[in-house]
Amino acid sequence: MRPAKIQRFTYVERIVHWLVGLSFVFLLLTGLAFSHPRLYWITTLVGGGSTARVLHPWIGVLFSTSFIAMFLIWVRDMKLDAKDRAWLAAIRHYAVHDKERVPPTGKYNGGQKLFFWGMTVFGFLYLLTGIPMWMPEGFFGMGPFYGDAVNASRLVHYLLTVAGGLLLIAHVYLGTIAYPGTLGAMLHGSVTRAWAKLHHPLWHKEQSES
Amino acid sequence: MPQLTGNGFAIKRISASSEPSPSIRSGPAYAKLVDISRCIGCKGCEVACKEWNELGIEPTENFGSFQSHRDLTPDTWLLMRFNEVEVGEDVEWLIKKDACLHCAEPGCLYACPAPGAIVQYENGIVDFNQDSCIGCQMCVSGCPFDIPRFNPDTRKVYKCNMCVDRVEAGLEPACVKTCPTNAISWGTKEDMLGLADRKVEGLQARGFGEATVYDPAGVGGTHMMYVVPRGDQLEDYDLPANPTASPGALSALQGLKKLGASTLGLGLLAAGLHYLGFGPQEPEEENTP
Repeated sequence: MRPAKIQRFTYVERIVHWLVGLSFVFLLLTGLAFSHPRLYWITTLVGGGSTARVLHPWIGVLFSTSFIAMFLIWVRDMKLDAKDRAWLAAIRHYAVHDKERVPPTGKYNGGQKLFFWGMTVFGFLYLLTGIPMWMPEGFFGMGPFYGDAVNASRLVHYLLTVAGGLLLIAHVYLGTIAYPGTLGAMLHGSVTRAWAKLHHPLWHKEQSES
Repeated sequence: MPQLTGNGFAIKRISASSEPSPSIRSGPAYAKLVDISRCIGCKGCEVACKEWNELGIEPTENFGSFQSHRDLTPDTWLLMRFNEVEVGEDVEWLIKKDACLHCAEPGCLYACPAPGAIVQYENGIVDFNQDSCIGCQMCVSGCPFDIPRFNPDTRKVYKCNMCVDRVEAGLEPACVKTCPTNAISWGTKEDMLGLADRKVEGLQARGFGEATVYDPAGVGGTHMMYVVPRGDQLEDYDLPANPTASPGALSALQGLKKLGASTLGLGLLAAGLHYLGFGPQEPEEENTP
């Protein structure tokens, strides 16, 4: 008899994902606190402005290192192919749940893959622009960065944060209330067969055959 | 909002604040005028600054200059720079009193993300309030004159506060008080501009045809001004010819600071509207074998 559920993410994948995800949320909130006076109160949640300033870059280090681990684990599955391009071409049907007109996908759809690559680029740029702000006096022989390098980094870091924040909203919305059954894949690791058949029919077929 | 100041000065601007200035009073703006041509290089002002502000003594070394120290530090808010420059046949000291210029448009204050960490008073003084400083050092990059200095032990930034406590008591700043040649004057900005013009005229009559007043418009003018004998050689004095309060990236950031929260708010709204419009997509009940 077939098990009722299919394993979607391993224990290690789930840990790494939540390290990336929770550190990103922390960084987004403290970053927003620094971006506008009306949001500065958010620093109170982590112990005040000075503490937020000390923690933000270190949580950034945690984000970067766990992101690298996540990248290495998932990059093999994230190559965009013809199926993904067909899926992306039909994204407006996907958005309105018109499932008959959405091309079937494997373990990940084109949107998920683009999200992966988008966050990879953003993550790299967060780090690149974050370092001059973290240690403007100099970082392992580089710098000092005072002046234009810091100011330009600040602008780019901020704009990417807005973009990354939007991606996060979409990611969390789609992964929770929009598609019931999805969150479990990241909590206990498994999904129902019905869920797999609906969202990732080719992957479901693969799993059923093996 | 933390306590901003311990004094009774009317406030003009507060860093990282969306509120308008609470001040309903206005009064004269003050200014320091440094007449470089009258400086004899005694460095009494440096000592007076250290004494009044109770800043630590820092050892130095002979590095081939008349200058006492190489650079400003969190404990050295005033440094007389002796720039040795060849002028014609001679070598001259093009002296700069290196300390905060107290800009009318303070780049440090605009760059600061911590509410109340930098305060500008109606009288022109720009003061750092270390209680509220979070040590991010954005002010250092926002300052067009490279003045604020970060102390890694306290994780706060420091600079000249124009002896704000003396000024509150009706006294001149310590460097002004101590200068033996009256190279530094103190008074209302208006009076100091008038005095500067007379000094420039005098210098021009004595053969310094390029003498000028340094009160750069790019930062809205400053509350420490210089009378510069060789006004055509500002860079040699280590005085930027065209300083600006908000370099491109920073002014863009100012303009876009509302973008972040509003864009993310719209993102949440879009997700909510999508959910209301299309609802969850539930998998069909498992009924296949």
